[in-house]
Order: sequence, then structure tokens, then C-alpha cells
Amino acid sequence: MSETLAWSGDLPPLATAVALVVAAASALLLLYELIRAHGRHHRGWVAVSGFAALALLAVAILRPVRVEERGASVGARLTLLVDTSRSMDLPADTPGGTRRAVLDRVMPELGRHFAEVRLSSLSFGLGDPVPIEGASWSEATPALGSDLSAALEDVARANDDLPQAVVVVTDGRLDRPGEERVATALRSALGELRVPVHGVQVVSETPADAAVATVNMAEAVVAHQPVTVRIGVRCVGGLSCDEVPVVVRELHHETEAKRRAAGTVQVVDGEGTVELEVTLDRAGKRILEVGIESPSGDEIAENDRRLVTVDVARDRIRLLHVAGRPTYDVRALRTWLKSDAAVDVVAFFILRTRDDQVRARPDELALIPFPVDELFTEHLPSFDAVVLQDFDARPYGLSKHLPALADYVRGGGGLIMVGGPDAFVSGNYARTRLADVLPISLRGIPRDGAIDLGSFVPRFTKAGRFAPVLAPMRALLGMRLPEMPGSNRVGPARDGATVLLEHPTLEIGGGAMPVLALGEYGSGRSIALTFDGSHQLLFSEFAQDEAGRAHGAFWDALLGWLMRDPRFEPATVSAPDGCIAGQSTSLRVRAVFADDGAKAELAVAPMGAPTEPAGALVTRTVDLAGDGTPAVVDLGPFAPGGYTATVRFTDQGQAAPSRYDFACEAGGREWADPRPDRARLEAIAETTGGVVVDPTDIASLPLPEAARVVAERRVRPLLPPWAWTLLAATCLGGHWIARRRAGLT
Amino acid sequence: MTTRGRGERRRRRVLAALGGALAVSGLEAVLGVSPDAQAFGEDGAFNPRILLTGTASWTGRRASAPARWALEVVRRTSAPARLSPTVVRADASALLREPFAIWTGARAPEALTRSEQLGLRRFLALGGVLFVDDQAPEDGSFLRGAAQQIKRVLPRGSPIEIGEDNVVFRSFYLLPEAAGRVRTSTVLKAVVRGGLAQVIFSPNDVLGALARNAGGVHPFDVEGGEATREQAVRLAVNIAMFVLCSNYKDDQVHAPFLMRRRTSGRP
Repeated sequence: MSETLAWSGDLPPLATAVALVVAAASALLLLYELIRAHGRHHRGWVAVSGFAALALLAVAILRPVRVEERGASVGARLTLLVDTSRSMDLPADTPGGTRRAVLDRVMPELGRHFAEVRLSSLSFGLGDPVPIEGASWSEATPALGSDLSAALEDVARANDDLPQAVVVVTDGRLDRPGEERVATALRSALGELRVPVHGVQVVSETPADAAVATVNMAEAVVAHQPVTVRIGVRCVGGLSCDEVPVVVRELHHETEAKRRAAGTVQVVDGEGTVELEVTLDRAGKRILEVGIESPSGDEIAENDRRLVTVDVARDRIRLLHVAGRPTYDVRALRTWLKSDAAVDVVAFFILRTRDDQVRARPDELALIPFPVDELFTEHLPSFDAVVLQDFDARPYGLSKHLPALADYVRGGGGLIMVGGPDAFVSGNYARTRLADVLPISLRGIPRDGAIDLGSFVPRFTKAGRFAPVLAPMRALLGMRLPEMPGSNRVGPARDGATVLLEHPTLEIGGGAMPVLALGEYGSGRSIALTFDGSHQLLFSEFAQDEAGRAHGAFWDALLGWLMRDPRFEPATVSAPDGCIAGQSTSLRVRAVFADDGAKAELAVAPMGAPTEPAGALVTRTVDLAGDGTPAVVDLGPFAPGGYTATVRFTDQGQAAPSRYDFACEAGGREWADPRPDRARLEAIAETTGGVVVDPTDIASLPLPEAARVVAERRVRPLLPPWAWTLLAATCLGGHWIARRRAGLT
Repeated sequence: MTTRGRGERRRRRVLAALGGALAVSGLEAVLGVSPDAQAFGEDGAFNPRILLTGTASWTGRRASAPARWALEVVRRTSAPARLSPTVVRADASALLREPFAIWTGARAPEALTRSEQLGLRRFLALGGVLFVDDQAPEDGSFLRGAAQQIKRVLPRGSPIEIGEDNVVFRSFYLLPEAAGRVRTSTVLKAVVRGGLAQVIFSPNDVLGALARNAGGVHPFDVEGGEATREQAVRLAVNIAMFVLCSNYKDDQVHAPFLMRRRTSGRP
């Protein structure tokens, strides 16, 4: 309990001021009289009584009180902001230790040092800081960035109990505030909060490291058009670097990564850049791996490569249309392809065979040689898709290019094989590598029985009734289809393929023979259409009701599916929080065309390995809502690398899968620069009046003053008001007598 | 395009089978049975069908011309064709089975009935190609009358001249001019829609030049002799290839080749 004296609190401040002014003026007047009355008797009594009377009058007005307070001293509030970004997993000064591990030592010490202080501990990374209590700091989930400004903004936004100081525990490698204009950034972040921001730098030494520091490329990348990738390399910690080789590779699904560019970075004063030209042929999300060949002594191998996800757009679909002979079916497909402004068609039709008798000199013919070698070697990568329509591979020299064409599909290209007398087995595709990337098997089909001449109406399979790829045609025709004059005989659908239409009577392998099947092989897709009568959707008595629009709807969707147009994907997949190697990763899955909901199988496989069934690292069964509400699926941690997630509906027949490629980096941007940044912390401290200390010097951090909290307060007058008034009146009377005796008026 | 060989024997075999099938099919047509049966791979074959309107019928010395047209397409090109072409009436739903028909006559055609107009309009709306051939260019009344009737079907379509720059003249052979039994005009006229000729008017009696009876005798002499007859056959083949390949030969990839050949063939 404490006691203090104070004036009575019931007087307004103005009255108190007036009383004191009047008292002071009276004292001055009395002093003036005393000076003029120099030499007179009893002058001392006049002075004493006068000043006493004035004082007592003032006290009678102000009435002093005794204040008794009962309370406690409360420690100041202090906010600890602890960097839990990925860079804290880089090496610390202690051999073998990480910066994050230093936290486990520093945090208890800070707790002891600030024992009298009310601490609130927050971890910061990206966005608002997060309270962490009771957990080991070394086990905190790493964040993909270190935004101190956002954390300070959040602290300053608190409605009450603002901290008297902030202590930041970090390696100094911050995203915000940046290296420049630190003061401005801090003023903006802290607003009205004026408190010192101290720093504890958990690491001081720079590890010997060569790293891919930056990878910059244009935001809009267009397929088939070269784009410049600017790659920065940094060598720090005394590592000797002069020339560092750089390679850019594109990761592929199920196939090995393809080298897209290579160069050498000249490193001067620890830094260097190189610009490489890269051409990506496949649209959609592509994953580029940028890697360096680091010199010996590099302590951090993980930042020698970066994985960059690139959204490659397509200005137009480049399509190679090869037909074995001109027919109305070829005509219909060509007419549709040429009518679509988004499709850039390069067509080659076999118009004449060696046995045809043209009865004309070559210069009288409008025929050009079929450049099979040029097309299927030099130019093949420039096409997004290839259509082989009723085309015999053997007589035109395509057979020797079939392995390359199969690789092209696995590498992300699209393939459609359209039926006819020279397609599939009759076209000499059986027992070739291309047959391995067709969605139907060609094994066991004899050449003399490779064609069935019986007319039939294709039948929708269960998958075909649901598949988005047939939805536009179903919208026009319902479940009606025109009669086809026959079909190539093919084997059953391959594993993982999707059959959308089947033959109503022909059976193969114990099931109906597929006539329209879709498949996914490596990064590419393929379609097998075993009949040559789709032109009847454009021009026939059947087609007239819809003015032939069903043909366009059919082919637009097939080509769209081949090119991974989201309109024809049954599901969408995304990784909203990205993926950090070693940390649990979640994918968000949403059904697009499943009004009643659907059960789906989600499989994740590393790029460059088969997805299913053996290559999948993780498989999950997911119940997807029909209203489009996404399901979030926790998949656990992944090692660094590129991954492909496929979603396949399991209760709609064997439905076509949707695919999503994503990359998991060990450190990513956070590990690109392992240098501790003390200068940044000092700039922050200097701006706010704080200090920066090492983990060994925590005791030198200033303690904020404690605050006193009053629990009970009692106010008592020293004397009752009448007593002060009586004393003042008595003194005033004595003063009057003394003045009379001294001869004053 | 290429001149390399392929499974010719199989194709010939299919065609032979097709010929038989079509022969039966023709018999079925006579008997009023549906002639739908077509072998796999030949459903999309070129079929130079004769279009009949009003009270017209298809008889006479040119009756062999469509089969000859189909035969020349099969002999000279890789394209399949129906060796026993059919006839189709303008108001029949069968007109919409295939995207090609030949309208021919020697005198002004009867005015199209409403159902015939409707049938032709549907045929052309779906992308069909109509070849209008005048059997009597000396008179010209058929072509004029046909043009008037086509105007009723396609009120906004006006024929324009098409010459060697049009893809019809280079869809297989490089042709300098139009040809037929007579040399009325070195160019054709066509109603062009979407950049493509949809109704082609021939004033030179192409069918007359093509006609050949069972003994191999041509029932009509051709002005200019056999060389001109060959040019007429080539034009017919080109029309077939245009119908089957559309404007394939307009593709950029062919342009430099064709330009060179056209240029080198001139003095």
C-alpha cells in the first residue's frame, strides 16, 4: 500500500487555477507593501501573518487530501516475433545445426530474461503472425516467406494492450521490409505505435554456398515461342566460383526430363546472371528445373536447383492432320478444323499412290511429296497434336518414325487415330511402339480380320454418359448417334484408358469392343476412334435437325480434351498452399460435372515415373460434392521434385482422369540466399530506437518499464474544510492586528 | 502429294467388292429397297450423283458419264469413288446423305417446287457442293435456267467467275482453263460461300466429254480432240478432289510448290 498527498479532486481545474493566481497576486501585493514599509516596527509580524493567512486561504479552497492506494506492479507487455520461414532451416553457426534449432536455445533464454515482462510469442512468415505456445520452435511449420512488415502491422492493429517493445528473432533474411527505405516501411507498418523494435540475430556466419539465386522469366509464356529465362547465380561464404554451368530442363510426366537450354554463368564478386532462351511446346502448367553444377565445397546442395511452375498459354493449337486418302470423312474433319480460328492446321493428304495412273507429267500435277521424314523429326515437336486419319504407316515411311511419335505423345503431345481401311491393325500399327500409347490394344487382331463391315450404331458406355468430353454432343443429340458402316477391329481398352463409345454387338476380351477411347500416356493424351463415319454428324439426314452442329461439338470436345481444356476435365485439382518438401501437402479437388457428387481416386506420382498403378506414391479415395464444394485432401510430406496428381471418378465407369502437375522445392526462394542480414536488423532497430544482439548477448536487451495496476484507492481529507477556514480566519485576524500596530492600513 | 505406293491391292479388292455391292444396291433401288448398305471405308467415297428435279429423268448417251467420272477418280487418285453412281431427287431426303450432286440438262429446267427448293437449301446449308453442267452449251438455256433456280434457293448467292487461281483448278491437276465437250468458256462460274465454291456452273458439257459406252466408244466428239477430252477428265477429277479435300491445296504449305510449277510451265 502507498500513501500520497493531493488536492481535493472535486474542484474543477479552472477554479484551482483561479485560486492559485489570486493567492500569488495577493502575495506579491503584500511583498510590495512590506518593501514600502521599510523601517517600521512589527513589519516581521505583518509578513508572517500575511503570508500564513494567504497560504491557509488557498489551502482552505484547495483542501489537501491523503490518498492511500493498494495495488501491484505489472510487467510491461512485449511481443516476440519469431521468424519461422524456410530460411531458418539453413545452417547455423554451430556445425550441423540449423537456425531453427537455435530457437530452441534462444527462446527459453529470452523467456528468462523477460521473466517480469508479459510476453506474447508469435511466429511470422507470410501474412499475419500466428501464436505458438508450448510447441517446440524447431518443429514449427516452415513458411514460404518472411514478411516482418505484415507481422508488425498485425501487432500495431491490436485494439488494446499494445506492447511496449517488440523483439524480432530472425536470421535477418526478410522479404519485408526490404533492403531500402526501411524507415518508411516501418512507419507504414507500425502506424501510431511508437515502440522500440529489437533484434536477435540467430546466425552470424555465412555458409559456403553456390545457389540459383533468381529465376526470372516473362509472365506470359506462349507455346512454341521462345522465352528468355534470366538466371542469377550467387556464390557466398568464400566459395570460389568463376564459371558455373547452368541447365534448364522441363519435367515430364512418366518420361525423363528434357533439356531445354544450357549455359555458363560468369560469376564476378560472388554474383552473375545468364539469359537462356527456352521454347516450351506444350501448353498448361509446365515445370522447369533450373540447376547449376556447383563447385566443390558447396555446403547447401538443395539450393543448387530451383523448380519453377510456368503457365504456358497457347495462341493457337498447331495440329498436323495426315490422311491416307481423301474421303468425305476427311473433308468433314478438315472443314471443321479450318473453320476454327484457334486451330492452325498443317494438312497432308495422300492424293495419289504409286499405282495410280495420273496420265500427266509431274509439272502438270498439283502434288507435292509427302515430307514424312521432315515432318516427324524436325517439325514434330512444334505440333500440339497429330491426327492420323485412315493412314497406313508402312508405304509412306511413317513406320520408322513411330517410336518418335510415341515419345512425342509421352512428352505431352496429343494423338488421334481415326478409323478407316488403313487405320489401326490394317495401318500397320500393331506391335509398334505407337500402339503402346493408344488407348486400345491392337494385340491379337489378325490382319485379315482387322475390319468389320457390319453396320452399327455406337453405344454410350457409362463413362460416356457422364464424360464432359461428350457433353456438348449429348446436349445436341441426346443419346442418339448415326449408323456407322463398319469399324476397325481393335482389342480391349488398355489399363487406365476410358471407353466412351462401344460397339453394340462386337465383343473383345469378354466385353464390348471400344470404338471411342481416350488414354493418357506420360504427359500426353491419345484418342482412338475406330470408325470413319463421324462426317455423318456434319452431313447426313441424321445431321440436318441440328444443322450439322454435332460434328463440331464432337470434334471440338475431343480436341479440347486432348489439349487439356478445363471445360472437358471432370475435376479440377490445385495446391492452394503450395508444396514444401518434407512438409505435409494438401490438394484441393473439385468435381466439375457430377451433379449428384462422385467418388474419386486421387493418385500422386513423381514426374518421370509411371503414375498408375505402381508408380503412385499416394492414393486416396475422395468423396466429391455435387455442388462444386472442394474437398481438401491431406497427402503427407513429399521429397523435393515435380509431381503429378490424377483424379479419376470411380463410380462413373472408367472415367477419363484429370491431371495436375505441381512442384515441391526443398527451400525455394527462401534458400536462394543463405547470408544472414544483420544490416537489415540494425536499420530496423535504429529507426525505432531498438538494439540488435546475438543469441549470446540476450541479457543486454533492455527491459521495458513495468506498469502499476491499482486495485484499491482511498482518499481522506487532512482536515475538515471548516478547520482550514477557521485557521485561515485566525491568521487573517492576526494579520489585521499586526498591520494596525505597524501603522499600515 | 506423294507418289509412293500403298496397299493398292486391298483397295482394288474393296472397290471390286464395292462395285458388286453397288450393283446390288442399284437393283435394290429399282426394287424400292433401301440402298443404304455401304462397305466400311467407302461410306465417304466420292459419288457423282445425278440430281433430278421436276419430271426429269436420267437416261440418254451421257448416262455413262458419272460412272466414268468415278472410274477416273479411282484410277488416277487415291480417293475412293462409287463406280455405280446413283441418282437423287432434289426433294428426297437422300440428297442429304452425301455432299455432292450433279445437276445437268439440255434445256431450261422446270421451276423448282417448294420441297425441291427446301431440299437444295438444306443440302447447300450443310455444305454440299452442286455441279451444274450444261449439256447444250450452244443454246445455254439450261445453265441460265439453272442459275435462276439457284438464285431462288440462295437469294444472296451470285455466281462469280473462277479461273486458274481457284483451288478447283489445282486440287489435283494444275489446270489452266476449264474444258468440256465444247469450248464455250475457259472459266467456270461459281456461287462462293465462305471462300469455297459451293455451286459450280460449267458451260462446256463436262459430262458429254466424259461419257463412254460399254464398248469404250465416246458417244460425243470433243471440240479440240482427245487432248481436250483429257482436260475435261482432269477437270472432273479436280472437282472430285475439291469435293473430298475442300481447299486443301490452298494451304500455305503447298503454295510455293504450286507457284513454282505454274511459273515454270509458262513461256
